[in-house]
Amino acid sequence: MSSYTQLHAAALASMAVTTRVIVQVGHCSQSVGAVQVAEALRAALSGRSEVQLVIAGCDGACFAAPQVIVTSPSGEIQRYANVSPRDVPSLISTLPSNNTAQQELPPFVKGGRGDLPQFFTLQTRLLLTRCGQIDATNINEYIASGGYNGLNTALSQSPEDVIKTVLDAGLLGRGGAYFPAARKWQGARAANDNPRYLVVNAEEGEPGLFKDRHIMEGDPHMLLEGALIAAYATGASQTYIYINAEAHLSAQRIEMAIIHAQDAGLIGEDILGSGFDCQVTVRRGAGGYVCGEETTLLDTIQGNRREPRLRPPFPVESGLFQRPTVINNVETLSNVPMILSETAAPVRPEPVEGHAQSESPVLPPFVQGGQGGFSSLGLDTAKGTKLICLSGTVQRPGLAEVPIGTTLRHVIYEIGGGPPEDTEIGVVAVGGPSSGILPPTELDMELRPGMLHPSGVVMGAGGIMVMPEGIPAIDVVRQLASYNAAESCGKCTPCREGTPRMVQVLDRIASGNGSHTDLEELSYLAEIVGAASLCGLGQMAGGPINSALHFFGDELRKLAE
Amino acid sequence: MNRSDLRPILREKFPPERTYLLPALHYLQEEFGHLPDWALQTVAWHLRVPPSEVYGAATSYSELRIDAPGSHVVRVCNGLSCWHSGGRDLLESLSGRLKIQPGETDADGRVTLEETPCGFLCPMAPAVEVDGHWRGRVAASDIPDLVKELT
Repeated sequence: MSSYTQLHAAALASMAVTTRVIVQVGHCSQSVGAVQVAEALRAALSGRSEVQLVIAGCDGACFAAPQVIVTSPSGEIQRYANVSPRDVPSLISTLPSNNTAQQELPPFVKGGRGDLPQFFTLQTRLLLTRCGQIDATNINEYIASGGYNGLNTALSQSPEDVIKTVLDAGLLGRGGAYFPAARKWQGARAANDNPRYLVVNAEEGEPGLFKDRHIMEGDPHMLLEGALIAAYATGASQTYIYINAEAHLSAQRIEMAIIHAQDAGLIGEDILGSGFDCQVTVRRGAGGYVCGEETTLLDTIQGNRREPRLRPPFPVESGLFQRPTVINNVETLSNVPMILSETAAPVRPEPVEGHAQSESPVLPPFVQGGQGGFSSLGLDTAKGTKLICLSGTVQRPGLAEVPIGTTLRHVIYEIGGGPPEDTEIGVVAVGGPSSGILPPTELDMELRPGMLHPSGVVMGAGGIMVMPEGIPAIDVVRQLASYNAAESCGKCTPCREGTPRMVQVLDRIASGNGSHTDLEELSYLAEIVGAASLCGLGQMAGGPINSALHFFGDELRKLAE
Repeated sequence: MNRSDLRPILREKFPPERTYLLPALHYLQEEFGHLPDWALQTVAWHLRVPPSEVYGAATSYSELRIDAPGSHVVRVCNGLSCWHSGGRDLLESLSGRLKIQPGETDADGRVTLEETPCGFLCPMAPAVEVDGHWRGRVAASDIPDLVKELT
């Protein structure tokens, strides 16, 4: 049984000090040829031991994908955007070992969509420091950068102390409800019934989201570490990670991470010699927005239809297999290691033998990657950062990390670069189909928990989709409403019958056959479905309708009359 | 494969407990491309779950298929970001060239064309999935080659 100090020392010693050629292969970049780039680089670099090819996840600059990052032992970092296999020979020719590091860079480096550095400098990155930098398939890179120190710290404390630390830090659930994460741990602990379960909600089935995938693909051990800490605090002996049916790469990297963590003694029995046992198992979804609803997710694992349960009892009392169960989102749990590490003495990378410590860093830059800062960021009522999935009509679509309380304008216009030239923003859909839509005049709203606007606009899980001017608001609402109608599981009649009815009325208005009573009917339907549905899907289905009536009422009225 | 071939495989892969229903259904879909009736029944026997409930679960998840699709499956994302950045045109173009409506399979059983709510590739819009592999930033000019590839 190795101690954490031993694991960390061994991980550091295993880090080769070489030029790293990092290819970012993730769900997004795979769709534009990242695997082919990685293969071309592998072929071109074979036999060159002084250069290490690293397969990482993506760092969120999706507009620049596929990306290749070259880091030299002396700490220089060169970023290549929108790389294709054709670019590989010229990329190889610039590697530092050819003594040509300072030469003029090939033209494609300056290409890419939009300005890369700005995309990063305008963000505050705590969770994503390692994403796209470390080898996502190598546990040593995670440990070398201080990974699993949070777990080690937690295991040296009592579960109650861990709960208190996370409660005090102010960590709220990132799945959309923003409930204090550790309150759930406390609840399941108080249920005092064994076994207890931890379920990681990695369903991420809401249109417009891709943040949890980035974490699982780019930094899978960060999620595992957070889950293990939560399991320890809860007293759970079994953790299920429930991954979306279509997120194959996420499942693959998490499964590999589990095996490596088991081998390192971080999962299984007597973790790090603490006496704490926990197994981790991956389960896959099978499609459906409602599967991300926590009680539905539990029934899915139990082998039932995808339908929510009546509450109470709440999952912390009677959840998976009728046992006390904590369900936390991927992003929520990924914040936990950092919070625990903040209370611990930081693990500083020690000089590796044979490499005298010089002014330039000896280890790859991510090893010095930021730890901590959680509690100093965000709002008093909601600490930390939030991952935002930005897409649509912006110059730099991708995954951004900002302190909670950042304005929509900053995300869309600064980080995202705003709409392309000659285009204006027409409608912004925030928070997916369970939220609402906004006109471009409302972009000074702060992204924070709770209602952004009383008509039902919420930050949700952090998806922002920007639509250009010229797209009628009714088209956007109709799409969101028809999504809700298609995804309604059918358990509650108001939702099953009401959501398709919303689409019918919207269609009638859009086709010019509407009447002045149609807007009233829409608002009535939104109220009924919201009031009489069991789960969030129905309760929030009125959001797109109500926000459209509020902000785009004139436009709709003109169409209807 | 038939019932008597499938039963030992199920026995080896999945303990006879209801919680293994979804993993078993995933296995069937991977093996057969869809969920044949006889195989659903075999899973029901093995897991000791009533066949009606197995069928109920199988039809409740959007990624599971009861009917066999064509040899190729093309799915066009109709999420907001994809739809309004060319996705709608891609679907129309595919539908026109393949001479089938979304949701249909062509007469030769070669291609099934579908819409899908979100491929979670919003920053790569518009996205099209071909036989389980997503392609991002698809241009209208890519469609003729794609159709040639499929037929």
